[in-house]
Amino acid sequence: MVIALVQPRLLALRNVVRRGPFRAATVGLLVAAFWTATFALFTYVLDYFHHLGDFGPFLTQRLLTLLFLTFFGVLLVSNTVTALTSYYLAEEVVPLLAAPVSHRRLHHARFVETLTASSWMVLLVGLPALLAYGVVYRAGALFYAAAVGVLGTFLVIPAALGVLVTTGLVLLFPARRTREALLIGVGLTMAALVLGVRLLRPEQLAHPAGLVGFAGFLAGFGATGSPWLPTTWAVEVLIPLLGARPGEPLFYLAMLVSTAAMLFLASAAVVERVFLTAWSRAQSGRVRGDARERPLTGWLARLVRPLPRVPGSLLAKDVTVFLRDASQWSQLLLVFALVGIYLYNFSALPLDDGTPLAQAMRDLATILNLGLGAFVTTAVAVRFVFPMVSLEGRAWWILRTAPVPLAGLWWSKFWIGYLPLVVFAELLVATTNTLLGVPAPVTLLFLLTLVPLMAAVVSLGLAFGAAYPRFDTQNAAQIATGFGAILYMLACLGLIALVVALEAWPVARLLRQARSGAVVASDLAEAVAAGGGAAALAFAVARRRALRALARLEA
Amino acid sequence: MIRIEHLRKTYGTLVAVDDLSLEVEPGTVFGFLGRNGAGKTTTIRMMTGLLEPTAGTVTLGGHDIRRAPEAAKALTGYLPDHPFLYDKLTGFELLRFVGSLYGLGAADGTRRAAQLLEQFGLGRVAGELTETLSHGMRQRLALAAALVHRPRVLILDEPMVGLDPEGALELRLLLRQLAADGVTIFLSTHSLAVAEELSHRIGIIDRGRLVALGTLEALRARARRDGGADGASLEAVFLDILNAPDGDVPT
Repeated sequence: MVIALVQPRLLALRNVVRRGPFRAATVGLLVAAFWTATFALFTYVLDYFHHLGDFGPFLTQRLLTLLFLTFFGVLLVSNTVTALTSYYLAEEVVPLLAAPVSHRRLHHARFVETLTASSWMVLLVGLPALLAYGVVYRAGALFYAAAVGVLGTFLVIPAALGVLVTTGLVLLFPARRTREALLIGVGLTMAALVLGVRLLRPEQLAHPAGLVGFAGFLAGFGATGSPWLPTTWAVEVLIPLLGARPGEPLFYLAMLVSTAAMLFLASAAVVERVFLTAWSRAQSGRVRGDARERPLTGWLARLVRPLPRVPGSLLAKDVTVFLRDASQWSQLLLVFALVGIYLYNFSALPLDDGTPLAQAMRDLATILNLGLGAFVTTAVAVRFVFPMVSLEGRAWWILRTAPVPLAGLWWSKFWIGYLPLVVFAELLVATTNTLLGVPAPVTLLFLLTLVPLMAAVVSLGLAFGAAYPRFDTQNAAQIATGFGAILYMLACLGLIALVVALEAWPVARLLRQARSGAVVASDLAEAVAAGGGAAALAFAVARRRALRALARLEA
Repeated sequence: MIRIEHLRKTYGTLVAVDDLSLEVEPGTVFGFLGRNGAGKTTTIRMMTGLLEPTAGTVTLGGHDIRRAPEAAKALTGYLPDHPFLYDKLTGFELLRFVGSLYGLGAADGTRRAAQLLEQFGLGRVAGELTETLSHGMRQRLALAAALVHRPRVLILDEPMVGLDPEGALELRLLLRQLAADGVTIFLSTHSLAVAEELSHRIGIIDRGRLVALGTLEALRARARRDGGADGASLEAVFLDILNAPDGDVPT
């Protein structure tokens, strides 16, 4: 029965693979590349630890504990958010509720869905990491069997906890408010995680001295883990099986399995008892009375008054939706973290020792800074510009049946995306160029190049967004992780690389001229024309493709 | 007011709409009937500019929807079969936004939105996000959005779905009033009783082809010729026509 309930998802996945083999193959290749890279990184680090003698097993265990602790935190948040959607907000629940399906079975089916949707990312990192452990320590078949068992059982624990937490929250607060609060929580967690990883200075792992530092960090990292935590039990199963040190893997495996089973049964029992009450509460929204206009609407109406009618209305509508949808604005937290890291990277570059090597490094960093700044802005565009078309969603008919030319709609969306992004990119590159001490003519060249380059990035975002729309979700974060978003990122990367390549030689020449104090203005103009011309061409092609895709778009 | 000529839509080898031609006079209600998957919604989506026809033309108020889409759309109101709205806008904000797309000024848009919200019994929930409204309320709000710019052509795809009996009665009265005021209404529905009550002329589409076109009396006469009963209801006529062997379309 439970298999029958999850079957629609499996059949849908099969159909996606059958109907889009190119897409499936591309995703498969990307996953394989990620797995290989993760496997290589872990093998490199573990191999180093393995050769440290008696200290090695200790560090190996610390790294595994850190890994499982990170997984546990991510899974707990991710499962709580996913459970809210799959148990209490998903439309598929309605026919299941109407069907002669017991709430317990409904729980089991939704549990499988929650666990799968929340855990795939952890499997993406976890499986190659554990494989690396096995390879480095030349573990036997028992380790690999135990690793699969441990990971599978381990995933159940945060999933069950997530379901219990979500059910409690839904009983206490309206579901949509809960979702917003959780989305903000996810945004903060992701931002903290990204900052945390950066502050570990992973680049130091590239040389042995850095590895010593990392080993030092691990050695100082907490205790071996609380005996009450499933992360500790997972580690205690795997480390002895690696042959790193003796232990009681069977006992800890029993702890893991029994806890997972107990929590799963507890979540099933709770959901079975309160599901209908929680579901009913989740369906009700907050009543605000008959006040027609909210303060935000009035402010925005005044703000867009100087603009032409249609772009003004679209801007007011988009900003209203953006500010009211936590899945959209909580993404800003991640952007802030990204910018913080970017600026920190530049301030931490060791370029001030006055040697010729430092000078060459500074010139290289200068040339690359245009590309890096544009790429960071592209990462922001993936979150905010690419989803624009998808976020119109199934309400696209409202715009499409209105007497507004498609080109007009395109321009409105373009300006909404372009203006904040070009300002963002200019500020980012100007600030980092200042940190690098780049001469003014080169900074001017970059700032001028960014004007058409960012226009092309936004234009590409609208083109890919229209060609690969996702109307099945209103979650901007989910839209930004789809197949089309990956292609968009790759296209932007290609364009940015081309522009940087076209400007590299002129920039090197300008740097030399700036040092000798005689900048030739025509060189500056030629450089802008080369890079800007390529960007302008990309802008025009992408715009044409976007208009065609929009005309074909069926919501 | 509405003229459709040799309209055709194909998806690969599948012919969704095949050589469809019809005309609707100003101030009349045209009932568009057919089984599920007959091609009703595809026809409507081509009429409203949501879908590009493979061949043929649609003219609304003298404006070709492909050659002069803005002019044709400016005088048309449309209610889709599943009217999805912007979840994060309130009903009031939605109507004002739609009004602005159709050229209503801020003051006029605000007045019109308030008037329609009251007219459709939505004044009480005007400040609620549309995601919190019931299906019937959303349907009424979408209908209000279709009327916000006082259209001369109204294209409705299953407008009665989700409405309570009171709402359905009010809608029938409203449609009759709009037609009396000169609005041309193209009404696709599965409710034969509604079509029978409101329509001046009726078209029946089957597997993409128009198989019957005319007044209810003309369709009854045709059904009689094919062996149907005298004075039969539209339901009986509908079934007779769809189950009859292929024949000429009476106009």
